[in-house]
Amino acid sequence: MMDRRNFLAGSASLLALAPALPAFAAVPKAWDRKSSPPLNNAEAFFKWAVEERGEDMKYLRMRWARYGAVVANKDVLDDRNKRAFLMAPREHFVLPKNLSRAYEHAFLDIDYGVTISGPHIVSRMTQVIDVKEGDKVLEIGTGSGYQSSYLAYLTDKVWTIEIIKPLAERTRATYDKLIGEGYTEFKNIQSKNADGYYGWEEAGPFDKIIVTCGIDHIPPPLLQQLNVGGTIIIPVGPPGAQRVLKVIKEKGPDGEIKVTRSDIYGGRIVPFVPFTKLEGDEIKGTHNK
Amino acid sequence: MTQPSAVAGGFGERGSLALYCAVGLIAGAVIALQISIMRIFAVGSWAHFGSLVVSLAMLGFGLTSAVMCISTKWFDQHWRGLSTLALMLFGPLAVASNLIAQQFPFNAIFLVSDPAQKWRLALNFVLYLTPFLAGALFLGIVFLKAQKIFNRVYFADLVGSGICGMCLLLSMYGLRPDDLMLVPLGLWVLGSVLWFVSVGSMGNIAAIGVMAVLSAAAHLMLPSLLNIPKIAISDYKGVSYARKFPDSKRVMESTSPFGYLEVYSSSYLHFAPGLSDNAGFNLPKMPKDAYLGLYSDSEGPSGIIRELPADETAYYRFLPMFYPYLIKQKPETFVVQFGGGLSTALAIAAGSSSVTVAEGDRGVLNAFRTQKVLRDFTGDILHKPGVSVIDYDGRIYLAGVRDKFDIVDLSLADSAGLSSPGGFAIIEKYAYTREAMANYMRALKPSGVLSVTLWNKEEPPKSVLKLYATMAAAARDAGGPDISKKFFVASAYLSTATVLYKRDGFTDGEIATLRKHTSAMSFDEVYSPGFKPDLSQQATILEDYRNQIFGSGQQQTGPADAPPPETAKDVADSPDIIDKPDDAPPPDAKPDVLPSTQLGRIAWQAHVTGTWADVARDYVFDTRMLTNAQPYFAAYVKVADLPLVTDRLDLLQDEWGFLLIWATLGVACVAALSLVLLPLIFGWRTIFSRYPGKGRTIIYFACLGLGYIMVEVGLIAHFILALGNATISASVLITGMLIFSGLGSFVSERALPNARAIMPVIFAIIGAILISYGFFIDHALNAIGSLSYGWRLLWCFVLIAPPAFLMGFPMPVAMTSLGRLGKEHMYLWAWGINGCFSVIGAALVPVLATSFGLHSVLAVSGCAYLLALPMFYAVLKPLEGASPAGAIA
Repeated sequence: MMDRRNFLAGSASLLALAPALPAFAAVPKAWDRKSSPPLNNAEAFFKWAVEERGEDMKYLRMRWARYGAVVANKDVLDDRNKRAFLMAPREHFVLPKNLSRAYEHAFLDIDYGVTISGPHIVSRMTQVIDVKEGDKVLEIGTGSGYQSSYLAYLTDKVWTIEIIKPLAERTRATYDKLIGEGYTEFKNIQSKNADGYYGWEEAGPFDKIIVTCGIDHIPPPLLQQLNVGGTIIIPVGPPGAQRVLKVIKEKGPDGEIKVTRSDIYGGRIVPFVPFTKLEGDEIKGTHNK
Repeated sequence: MTQPSAVAGGFGERGSLALYCAVGLIAGAVIALQISIMRIFAVGSWAHFGSLVVSLAMLGFGLTSAVMCISTKWFDQHWRGLSTLALMLFGPLAVASNLIAQQFPFNAIFLVSDPAQKWRLALNFVLYLTPFLAGALFLGIVFLKAQKIFNRVYFADLVGSGICGMCLLLSMYGLRPDDLMLVPLGLWVLGSVLWFVSVGSMGNIAAIGVMAVLSAAAHLMLPSLLNIPKIAISDYKGVSYARKFPDSKRVMESTSPFGYLEVYSSSYLHFAPGLSDNAGFNLPKMPKDAYLGLYSDSEGPSGIIRELPADETAYYRFLPMFYPYLIKQKPETFVVQFGGGLSTALAIAAGSSSVTVAEGDRGVLNAFRTQKVLRDFTGDILHKPGVSVIDYDGRIYLAGVRDKFDIVDLSLADSAGLSSPGGFAIIEKYAYTREAMANYMRALKPSGVLSVTLWNKEEPPKSVLKLYATMAAAARDAGGPDISKKFFVASAYLSTATVLYKRDGFTDGEIATLRKHTSAMSFDEVYSPGFKPDLSQQATILEDYRNQIFGSGQQQTGPADAPPPETAKDVADSPDIIDKPDDAPPPDAKPDVLPSTQLGRIAWQAHVTGTWADVARDYVFDTRMLTNAQPYFAAYVKVADLPLVTDRLDLLQDEWGFLLIWATLGVACVAALSLVLLPLIFGWRTIFSRYPGKGRTIIYFACLGLGYIMVEVGLIAHFILALGNATISASVLITGMLIFSGLGSFVSERALPNARAIMPVIFAIIGAILISYGFFIDHALNAIGSLSYGWRLLWCFVLIAPPAFLMGFPMPVAMTSLGRLGKEHMYLWAWGINGCFSVIGAALVPVLATSFGLHSVLAVSGCAYLLALPMFYAVLKPLEGASPAGAIA
């Protein structure tokens, strides 16, 4: 099965998809963690991203359009999260066949029965755990690698675990390739192929934990490796019908450690993601209208 | 009496035995292929799409009939060549279409977001249509040539289908789903040989032999030669994940009509359904490698728990199914469904003095009883002292038994560890109906406790609200109107909900114990006697939930609002992103109680005070209780809201099973009616201009097509009540209905001379039986359910026989009449109309059952037969210009 898949994927990209692959230029300058692209002007952002990062205009336009939607949607609220969204190069984390849909609202297949979550949910989940510079963040379920790359623009301490070995290897190779091309910020992502259920004890405890795979309960080891005052965020349910659970570990007035569950919307009832449709480079109305 | 057929070279007045056997076997091959493809879809991707593809593929019969109707003469002239061609192609097409389709699987979960998936679905449909076209062409030609002896050929067709369907189901004991295809191939070869013998084309026997060898070889060898799968198991099926774990190992595999079971071991398998978050800090020792994963038809996993040593059993205390054991010491416990054994293991560990455990799935039970790997892992749980096993549904056992229990447990029964991707199936859940719950309650000792745990992973809540409504109603049935002291309910957000019912009401001490435990586990209290929820937000919560699905995004308040769409568009189109002041509180701000928990509290308050109907009316989803007539955890979208959901399917992915049955009905109606209309457009004024009563004749055959299939499919769902298993119910019904109807068809020859007098009586009896079955059959099936299995099967056949036998009359009597009257165009078309409306009827059953209840299915089919009664006379009208003597008496 595996050989066939690799063979087919290889032949397909050679025969059909190669001409469609983007000409990703090498990143000319390493990123200074204090610097930020312009957040409020498209042309200024494009200019910055081309000069500083050597990125492809085609994807920058798509990223900017989706950025408009996530800002309008209040999926990102502060400048640090806005910066992370604008800098994370999502096009490098989707399958070649989905490049033209890299910034669509929907989750996309990335093989092995795993999806890359849509940009709205990723930015919303990341905003909610409010990652500070220097926070230790653990991600369970590396998947495409997009979530960790996004986190790498918020903190320099990211750990990520993937259970599916070939996927873990593929994504590690993607990071290494990107690091080689100049995305040196991804050097801050430590990854391994293991069962995320047990967390990463040697590296813990963590300030924030993002779980991006389904499970019928919150793994006790993760609750143990979470600092008091820390947050775990975990989607529940099948792809596309997930609700996102937020778990806070805190010390009660009586000194006992307590765990509180809520959802990422703070318990309010709100329309669930996605709200906006992107067709081509344009937002066409919303799914709720 | 009869008029010579315009078609020359028919099979004469009798036909040969070889001919009848050939027809039976080929018809049987078609039905076997149909079931095989559905099994392939069930194991590889998603059963509902299997039904969709197969039911549409059955339209091949309608298409063939329409074409044959328009060019009858040509088909009549070339019948030998065409029937040979159809037979030569059936087997190779079945194999080729399946192998090719499996290389282009479509993935249901991307159906909305990925445009390519629609084309893959269409390709699957077209591919699987091809063998059915070949089968339909063959049977169409046989019927064309057998107009005078239609009833006998039809008898062979029905009986053959019934027996071959049973053969396929029995072959599931030996053949894995990917090799089931061999059964229709075998039937096809036998049928073809007999056909060539009957028509004297001995030379073709060698040719069909070569085709058979090539087809079987292609099916068995091509996949390994080309390194392609026989069944493309979706990456999103539970078993696909297990296979990718580095240390995963399949420790058991068994195949039977109950399903294809696999058990995997891996250190990566973790279960703890509903485990309290506090376990992480308070549990002295977390059991490691505690579970095996059980997969049925690639779905799962269900956790099989290993025998835990004494220092690890504290783990059970943190599971929600531990609740009843807090207030019952050394109870006599009944576990309604064994499943993976968690409830049983917990019952033993919690100190039950005896545990009686039921399991209706013989496949699972046999595996735990006989497979060494499972016996070793579980400490041979089913043979432990104090454990007794009931090898059929606990629901049926408790309805008939006099023993009483301290605890009756129904916890996450037949439920996988994770929800299956791509929508939830519409499956009869008779263990959770009002009638079943009332029986559980009656089976309790006076102070006994019923404990039901269900997944609570939906937001807005759906299943749990149905469960609450069902249990409240059942409590009134079992113990009178005041239920306020009899329930204790707790839930964990996006985890599980547990409802405890105590027959004589909870004492203050018990309530205190349960409350303390709830708090210690960080669970949320939803209801307890005397609990006073805050009802002030009721209207707001109900309105907000509705807006969550159907709102424009502008009505809500709070920080996570979707902006007005114009804003989103403006921002995206504009080159500048302008920060707006955010006057809303930060997203961390949260109310004290989550809305879903609050809604649960509102629901219980309303149940206790008898005002739930008012609340339910305003809630966004349909949360009616489960009854034996509507035993579904599905169909939450209110029918009136269906037109509103088409542009927000991604919000309702867990309802796709329900939405798909409506879509299937829509597609089936459009496709079937188009096929029916085809001959109408081409021939209404020409071919049919000499046919009196053609409109009513069409209605007649439409009624028969609709009525027959609805009885068959509807009764399959009903009979699960007594037989406890969908596969067995389907086998009994398919076999029983077809064989008894076949006999009816055979006997119907005697009704022909006197059809005008006999048939109305038969229609009236069929209508009366079906309508009364709609109202009373559940009572009969409940009674039958408590007998031994052999007697149950026998009584089921006894119930099926009368209507099925009589339902065998109308089709052959009318078809033979058309043939003898020389109305061969109408004869062919009628066969197609019958086929098309069968497809519509099959699609209509789940829609009627979920919306109006299963009894309505039988009532509608009864009415269809009653409507056919007056239409029958139009069938008997002679062709214009024919002598009156041509009419049938």
